[in-house]
Amino acid sequence: MTTSDHKAKGDAPDKAPKGREGSSFGIIVSFFLIGFGLSMAVGWIAFPKLLYSEKQQPFDFNHAIHMDLVDEGCESCHLFREDGTYAGVPTLDQCSGCHEDAQSDSPDEEIFVNEYVANQQEVPWLIYSKQPDCVFFSHAVHVKTAEMECAECHGDIGTSESLKVYRENRITGYSQDIWGANIAGLKKNTWDRMKMDDCGSCHLERMGSKGPCFQCHK
Amino acid sequence: MKIDRRSFLALGIGAAAGTAFTPLPWKLTDDLSIWTQNWPWTPVPEDGDAYYDHSVCTLCPGGCGILVRKINDRIVKIEGMPSHPVNRGGICALGISGPQLLYGPDRVIAPMKRSGARGEGKWTTLSWDDAIAEVLDRLKKLEADNKTEHLACICDTDRGTVPQLFKRMLSLFGSPNFMTTPSMYDSYEAVLKKMHGRKDTLDIGFDFENTDFILSFGSGVIEGWGSPVRMIMANSAWKTKKAKQIQIEQRLSNTAASSNGLFAVKPGTEADLALGLACVIMEEELYDKAFTGAYSTGFPEFRNMVTKNYNPDVVAEKTGIERHLIIELARHFASAGTSSLAICGRGKGQTAGSMMEFMAVHSLNALVGKINTPGGVWSVEHPDYIPWAKEMNVRAAIAGKKRIDEAGSPVYPDSLSLLNRLPSKILESKESPIEMLFVSNANPAYTLAGTDKVIEALGKIPFIVSFSSYMDETADQADLILPNHIYLERYQDVPVRGGLARPVIGLTRPVVEPQYDTMHSGDVVLKLAKGLGGQVGEGFPWDDYKDCLEKTMADRWKELEETGFWTDEAYQPKPWAGAFGGTYGKFAFSDTILPLPDLEGDVKDYPLILIPKESMRISSSHIGDTPFTVKTVPDTELKGKTLVIEINPRTGKEQGLADGKDAVLKTPLGQVRVKVSFFEGIMPGLMAMPKGLGHTAYGKYLKGKGASYNALVGPMEDPVSGQDISWGIRARISRV
Amino acid sequence: MKKESSHEPGRKYGMVIDLDKCTGCGSCMVACMAENNVSFKEDESNKLDSITWMRVYRLTNNKPFPETEIRYLPRPCMHCGGKGDLGHSPCVSVCPATATDYDHKTGIVSQIYTRCFGCRYCMAACPYHARYFNWWDPIWPADLKKSLSPNVSPRMRGVVEKCSFCFHRYQLAMERAYNEDRRELEEAEYQTACTQACPAGAIVFGDLNNPDHAVHTLKDHPNAFRLLERLGTNPKVYYISDREWVRRSGDNYLNNEKTNTKPAVQEHHS
Repeated sequence: MTTSDHKAKGDAPDKAPKGREGSSFGIIVSFFLIGFGLSMAVGWIAFPKLLYSEKQQPFDFNHAIHMDLVDEGCESCHLFREDGTYAGVPTLDQCSGCHEDAQSDSPDEEIFVNEYVANQQEVPWLIYSKQPDCVFFSHAVHVKTAEMECAECHGDIGTSESLKVYRENRITGYSQDIWGANIAGLKKNTWDRMKMDDCGSCHLERMGSKGPCFQCHK
Repeated sequence: MKIDRRSFLALGIGAAAGTAFTPLPWKLTDDLSIWTQNWPWTPVPEDGDAYYDHSVCTLCPGGCGILVRKINDRIVKIEGMPSHPVNRGGICALGISGPQLLYGPDRVIAPMKRSGARGEGKWTTLSWDDAIAEVLDRLKKLEADNKTEHLACICDTDRGTVPQLFKRMLSLFGSPNFMTTPSMYDSYEAVLKKMHGRKDTLDIGFDFENTDFILSFGSGVIEGWGSPVRMIMANSAWKTKKAKQIQIEQRLSNTAASSNGLFAVKPGTEADLALGLACVIMEEELYDKAFTGAYSTGFPEFRNMVTKNYNPDVVAEKTGIERHLIIELARHFASAGTSSLAICGRGKGQTAGSMMEFMAVHSLNALVGKINTPGGVWSVEHPDYIPWAKEMNVRAAIAGKKRIDEAGSPVYPDSLSLLNRLPSKILESKESPIEMLFVSNANPAYTLAGTDKVIEALGKIPFIVSFSSYMDETADQADLILPNHIYLERYQDVPVRGGLARPVIGLTRPVVEPQYDTMHSGDVVLKLAKGLGGQVGEGFPWDDYKDCLEKTMADRWKELEETGFWTDEAYQPKPWAGAFGGTYGKFAFSDTILPLPDLEGDVKDYPLILIPKESMRISSSHIGDTPFTVKTVPDTELKGKTLVIEINPRTGKEQGLADGKDAVLKTPLGQVRVKVSFFEGIMPGLMAMPKGLGHTAYGKYLKGKGASYNALVGPMEDPVSGQDISWGIRARISRV
Repeated sequence: MKKESSHEPGRKYGMVIDLDKCTGCGSCMVACMAENNVSFKEDESNKLDSITWMRVYRLTNNKPFPETEIRYLPRPCMHCGGKGDLGHSPCVSVCPATATDYDHKTGIVSQIYTRCFGCRYCMAACPYHARYFNWWDPIWPADLKKSLSPNVSPRMRGVVEKCSFCFHRYQLAMERAYNEDRRELEEAEYQTACTQACPAGAIVFGDLNNPDHAVHTLKDHPNAFRLLERLGTNPKVYYISDREWVRRSGDNYLNNEKTNTKPAVQEHHS
């Protein structure tokens, strides 16, 4: 019964002429292409812009000037504690050693001295390489045992004259530097991305295995 | 040209296809999965400088050294201090959970004044100045009315500068009514006075590390007795060197389970067994003749009394222990070449014991010559480092004033404090003879037996000032709370009274800044004294508490601050020749049979006996448990909010009970709904309930869980010492 | 660069617990909770949902008073190596998310909370009830968040957690060692929180493969046994007791069956 019903419908004199069929195909294709193009634009251009919000550091910092003044490179300020743990961004105490009073006429230093040193308040730096809480990363084994350069993961920040804009992923809350500037996740340099896969591929290449979960998780 | 349905379909398909060629889906999936791992309410603990600071734990009298692990200015962990002479790195569950007391929800975070009825829990905060002014006003009124002895104070102990500051303030003000929380040390110190004849207060010490036979009369050797961590370590050392420990108890406590033999005497006959053993030792001539001959008095009379009244047949009948077992135990205890040692003080030793029992047990040690010898029981001179505690003018100020509890009076000459007698004294009088009460580091409304009466008595006291850091039962009854810093926030000397075989003073140090608007009780006392002025004010010549502490500790201060403790490494007790006082300078055996009070309750109405069950996992002192320690309480003790009673299956079935089912437990003092847990490890006819639950104060992690032992059990006064020696009560249980 | 795996000898961390010394005091449980940011809730009397990485059980011989005996049995994660220590642990082999794996360098079974999606297969697979599920989000009231350690991630609702042999302490010990240009750890450098806290000294922890470590010889004690050995889980936690009834309660023995006196040798020494 249903078959015949269907047949009856199909036989109905509602058939479109051949020419119209061709132009209809063109329309469909062009709509397809419009859709394709729009989503490509959204995915490649709009999405990255929407995904990240731009945040300003409390004030600018010139790594290059400081590098010229210290003897032991990055480790002069980015210290290892006695127990081998890495202290991260220098604390106010470390900086106040030199910056009790302004050392230059830089407006950024003025902010630092007047707002932070004077009030004994830690600077709320936004950390480009901040990893989730579940990650355990030992700087000691990478820097001291494996003798890796800081730049291998952090890039040439040590020679930079100003801090770049901090782009915060609106969904995850982490910096754009973790996924990398390239929205497709492609990287040219070792420091372009800091995802687990990047750790894993380097470990696989140099250690022969990505290692067990607890190697880098806590 | 017509745009139809298909065109839109094409647009959609195009968009979908296009999206697949963008990083959007993959990036979004990744980001969303990270998002699901970062709930804002899941805390991310801040990292920072990790380091250890040292201090001393004050949560029990044990006096353990602690290492406090800090991240920046936060305390994240408390561990045992390996170099400390008491605990050598070990630590108990409560000690570890100290940070939960520091940061937890039960703290009193500012001075508070009661604004509702007592116990209603309505408070308003006030400033420290106003709070202190209010106390001063009332003190001055007492002074003006010439009723200075109407001021009383309860502290956990009389050792150390803080309790002594309270005591000094009371004395100079004109009140002798300084009282302390009762414990087995009260009994031991009374025994030392009576039998060692020394007028000065001595600490009881036990050389457990060098002993190889331990006879424990119901002491919870590994359940919080003495200095708990030291005892557990000693217990392990006994296992290693194959020392023997015999437990005399009516249930298979952890101590009994870990012992080499359990002697389940009929409850209340411990002293009989001790004297039965003494009888065998004397009849078989196994005693130390050098000691009894030259260094004791009253031995022939003692021997006479014991052989007449406590021969093994009589004792076997009384205690329910077979005759030959009594004889074997006595021989073992007295056998040559063994360093044996008998101890008493039930459970954690948080209550006093009968003088009869304590003296009988101490006589056992004396018989075998184990007084002040290696591996024996020692009288330890405690370091007399508070010179101002003994000044004559302080004592003169209270000359002629009588203590309300009659401690030290001709009736109870050997007792220093009888807090247990305070409630009845107050309830006997029409108007409370105590008009103002200070409570510091104590929680009598929970830890004294017969809670209802205690609360009723507190209710009659017009003005109660609590110095508690936590919202405990007594603070709940107070008119004013002047919260102390907790031990992690303050300096205080901690002279250890835990049965150690040498004097140890610890120093608790402020390892963090005070977290709330609290004040050191020592400083409050100084402020009060200065506010009172006159001779009281003059008696406190220090700038603040720290100044007082530093000056008091004098030469020891530096060492205390650096290492956290002071001890006399090479301490040796006085030899027999110089150890004893009294008329003859000898150890005094006693031939008096002291009366023992009967257990409260009628056998007909209450066929069973309820005894407490104490454990390292439940605090049961004036310190409330933490969320962590409550977590360790097994479901055979607490189920939901219901207390679980331990009963022998045979007795349980006789009473018509079923394992795991509900029942009603009734004592002459009250009743409570419980669950029943059948356990073979308890003597038939007895029931055991965990002690330390059933709080009516503190927060939701503790309040209303289980039932309080002290609410169901009344005090039992020792006719000799006046101390509360209650160890149980008659009870009945029926199914519901 | 040389491959690390070929450079380092296989460590195999394990525990030997003397049940005759254990007093059941609960220090290990609380030390573990405090060390590992274990959560707590208002009612913890339902022991099925009470998270205790280290749990102390009470064993009894069920004889009538006064012949009754009890022993306490602290139960951390057994860190099963499976047959031949190949890492075929009951939980690892069933996890569909690879949220738990076996570290061949230390013999430790991991649990990665952010990877776990809460299917609880591992809990069903674990014969020791060592794994716990977060049925609720943890709450730290008042200022209790201040007491959290940064070395262990707090867990969220919906994931499984368990004892890690305080792996973060291994991480920190190794970090210190690397900083001092070492690759080996002394026995005392890496100890679990429960071992450190135990006042009775009943818990001994170390590398079962290292003859310098106490556990290496203790595990061969004539009275040593493991729990449910005959399942072939090859646990790394050994127990010692001089009581035969205690040793028998470690496995499902038939009444007429003899007690295993020596732990079945299943380890694969690398």
